[in-house]
Amino acid sequence: MSSVARLQDLPPPGGFGKIHYEKVPHKSFFNGKWIAITFGISYALGIAGYLASVNIIKRQRIETQSARNAIQPFLLAERDRQLLLQMRKNRDAEAELMKDVEGWEVGTLFGTPVYNTVGENEWIGYRPNSYYAHADPDRRLDYEGFSLYV
Amino acid sequence: MVLTNQFKLPTEEELTVPELNVTAAALATGAFHLGKYCEEPCKEFILCRDELGDPRKCLDEGKKVTSCGIEFFKKVKKSCLAEFTQYQKCLISSSSNFEYGPCRKTQEVFNECVKAHIGIDRPRPTYFCEPKIHDSKRPAPALPQYPKYDDATPGLPQNYPKDKISTESTQGVFDGNI
Repeated sequence: MSSVARLQDLPPPGGFGKIHYEKVPHKSFFNGKWIAITFGISYALGIAGYLASVNIIKRQRIETQSARNAIQPFLLAERDRQLLLQMRKNRDAEAELMKDVEGWEVGTLFGTPVYNTVGENEWIGYRPNSYYAHADPDRRLDYEGFSLYV
Repeated sequence: MVLTNQFKLPTEEELTVPELNVTAAALATGAFHLGKYCEEPCKEFILCRDELGDPRKCLDEGKKVTSCGIEFFKKVKKSCLAEFTQYQKCLISSSSNFEYGPCRKTQEVFNECVKAHIGIDRPRPTYFCEPKIHDSKRPAPALPQYPKYDDATPGLPQNYPKDKISTESTQGVFDGNI
C-alpha cells in the first residue's frame, strides 16, 4: 500500500472574497430638492393648462346649448302636431279593429276606463307603447335605439 | 287603449300646416338668428306649453312659431344663400355636433349679410340660456283648487299665552322645565 499525498479542501489562493452584507444603493439622478421642484413646476403647468381650457370648453358647451334652446320651440311645435295626428289615427284604427267585438268601447276595456280619477278630456300624456300600438314593432325599436342598422 | 271618444282631438285639417322642412345642419346654422327673429312667438309658445301642459291648447301658438321660422328661412334663402351655405358647410365638416368655435370667420360673413339684409344682430352666445321675462296677453291659468276639510287639526287660539308655547330648543326630554 503506497502512500498517496493527501490534499485538504482549502480556500482558493488569495482567500475567499468579502461577503456583501451592506445595502447597495441605486445610482441616484435627483435628490429631494430637484424632485420637489419638478413636481411643483409640472403641477403648476397642469393647473394653468386646465384653467386655460376649462373656460373655453364651458363657453363652447354654453353656446351649443344656447343654439339648441333657440330651435327647441320649432321642434316642439312640429312634434306636438305629429303626436296629435297619430293619436287620432290610433283611435280610428282601434275603432276599426274592434268593430266586430260586442260590447267594446273605444279607449276602455268593455266599458271600464283606464283611469278613474282623471277627467274624460284631461291631458295625461301619451306613452310610446300607445303611440306604436298599431305600428310595426320594428318602428318601436327604432324609437328606442335598439334597431340594427342594416 | 287610453283614448276614449270623449277625448277631444283636433282634426287633420287643423294639424296640417306647411312644416319647417330643413335639415338639422340648417337649423344649427341659423339657430341664433332664427331664435332672435322669432323670439316673441317662441316665448309665447313655450310659456303656453309650460303653463297649460297640453299640446291641444297651444296649437295656434305653435303654428305661429313654424310660420315665423319658414318666413326667416325664406328671407335667408333670398338674400344670403351663399353665405349661409358656406357657414353650414364649415359647421358640418368641423365637428360632429355643430360646434361654433371653429367657424368664426364664415360666421362673421353670415352675420354681416343677415345684418345688412334682414336687419337683426346675432345675439351673444349665452342669450338663449338666460332666463327671460315674457308678458303675455293670454290670461294666466287658474291655480289648482284644493278641497278644505272640516275635521282638520285646529290651531291654537289667538290669545294663547306665549310662554306656554314650547320652543324648538326646549322640546323633547326636558319638556320645557330646565
